[in-house]
Amino acid sequence: MSDMPTQQEQDKYSQLVNRKSNAVKSSGPLGAGLVQLSHLHTSPNSQAPVPALPEKGGKTRHGIIPEELFQLLYPKTGVTGPYMLGAGLLTYILSKEIYIINHETFAAACMGTVIIYGVTKFGPDVAAFADKLNEEKVQKAQEVKDLAMTSLAQAIQDEKKEQWRAEGRQMLFEAKRNNVAMLLETNRRERVHMVTNEVKKRLDYQIALQTLHRRMEQEHMVNWVEKNVVTSITPQQEKASIAKCITDLKVLAKVQQAKTTA
Amino acid sequence: GIPLIALALTLPWILFPTPSTRWLNNRLITLQGWFINRFTQQLLLPLNLGGHKWAVLLTSLMLFLITLNMLGLLPYTFTPTTQLSLNMGLAVPLWLATVIIGMRNQPTAALGHLLPEGTPVPLIPVLIIIETISLFIRPLALGVRLTANLTAGHLLIQLIATAAFVLLPMMPTVAILTSIVLFLLTLLEIAVAMIQAYVFVLLLSLYL
Repeated sequence: MSDMPTQQEQDKYSQLVNRKSNAVKSSGPLGAGLVQLSHLHTSPNSQAPVPALPEKGGKTRHGIIPEELFQLLYPKTGVTGPYMLGAGLLTYILSKEIYIINHETFAAACMGTVIIYGVTKFGPDVAAFADKLNEEKVQKAQEVKDLAMTSLAQAIQDEKKEQWRAEGRQMLFEAKRNNVAMLLETNRRERVHMVTNEVKKRLDYQIALQTLHRRMEQEHMVNWVEKNVVTSITPQQEKASIAKCITDLKVLAKVQQAKTTA
Repeated sequence: GIPLIALALTLPWILFPTPSTRWLNNRLITLQGWFINRFTQQLLLPLNLGGHKWAVLLTSLMLFLITLNMLGLLPYTFTPTTQLSLNMGLAVPLWLATVIIGMRNQPTAALGHLLPEGTPVPLIPVLIIIETISLFIRPLALGVRLTANLTAGHLLIQLIATAAFVLLPMMPTVAILTSIVLFLLTLLEIAVAMIQAYVFVLLLSLYL
C-alpha cells in the first residue's frame, strides 16, 4: 500500500476488526485461541482494506499444471509443446539416472492411483460442499439485510400513513369543534327561549292581574250604580213608568191590530 | 538423486494457508476451517468448562498428527511418528498433565477413579493395584500404539512394494501383489483414524 490510510478509514477498519474479533470469539470452540492470533496483525499497514479476490482459483490442466504454462509455450511450440517438455524431462531424468526406479516408485504409483481416484470421485462433491458453506454464510447475511430492508420499507410506509392520518385529524378536530359550537349554540337558544317564556309568563300574570283588577272595579261600579239606581227609584216614578208602559203597550197593540187587519 | 529436500521444505507450507482476514474464503480454507470447527465441537462435547482449556492443544495435536501421517504416506518421505521417541515425547507429558491436574483439583475424585463402582468388598485391594497399573501403563500404550501402527504400515508398504518390484519381470504375481499394495494403501490412509484414537484416548483420560 503506497499511502497510509486516513484516520477515518483506520477507525472504521479497527471497528471492523473489533467486530470481527467479537464474531470470532463467539464463533465456536477455538474462538479464544483465534482472538490472540488476530492480534498479531494490528499495525496500520495490515489493517488497510484488502484487494478483492478472484472468484475462482487459477485454471489448471490435469489438476496440477497451471494453464499459464500452456499459454506461455503456445506461440513457440503449439499445442503439444508442454507435453513434449514433460515427456522429455521425464526421459532425461530416467535415462541419466537422476531418478532411479525402485520399489518406492511402485508404492508411489499405487498411492498416486488411490489419490487420483479419490479426487476424481469425491472432488466435485467436496468442492460443492465448500461452496455451500460459503453460500450459507452469504445467505445468512443477505437474509439479515433483506429483513432489515423490508422492515425499513414497511416503517416508511407506516410513517407516511401516520402523516396522512395526522392531516386527517385536523379535519376531525374542525368537525368536532363545529359540533361543540353547535351544541353550545342550541343550548344558548334553549335558555333564551326559556327566559323569554318565563318573562312572558310573569308579564301575562301582571296583565291578568290588572284586567282582573279593572273588571272587578267595573263590576263593583256597575253594582254600585245599579244599587243606587234601584234605591233611587221612588214609588212615584215606579207608577209613572208602569203607566207609561201600559200606554205604550196599548199603542203597540193598536198598531199591531192595524197591521194584521191591513 | 534429486534434491528432494528442497521440495520437502517448501511444499508442506502450501497445505495449510494461514487463516485469512476475509469473511468468505477460498475452498481450501473454508474446508479446513469447517473441519477444525467440527472436530473441536465433537472433542469438547463430553467435557465441562474446565476441559475447554484443552481445546487448542488437542485440536492442534490432531492436525499435527494427521499431517505427519498423511504426508508420510508419500514416497521418499520420512514419518516422524514412526519413532518411538517422538510418540513417547507426546504421550508421557500430556498424560502426566491430566493426572496431575486431576490430583490437584479433586484429589479424592481422581483417586476414586481407581476403583470401579460396585465391586465386591474382598476384591478391593487387588483391584486398586490393577487400576494403578493400568493408569501407569496408559502413556506407554498411547505412544507405543501410534508407533507400532505407523511403523507396521510403512514397513508393509515397503516390503510388498519391494517384492512387487523384484517380481516385475515375472508378470502375474506382480498383478496380485499390486492389488494387495493398493488395498493396503487405502487402509493406511486410515492412519487418520489412528490419530482419532490417539486424541480420543487422551481425551478420555481427562477426568477434569
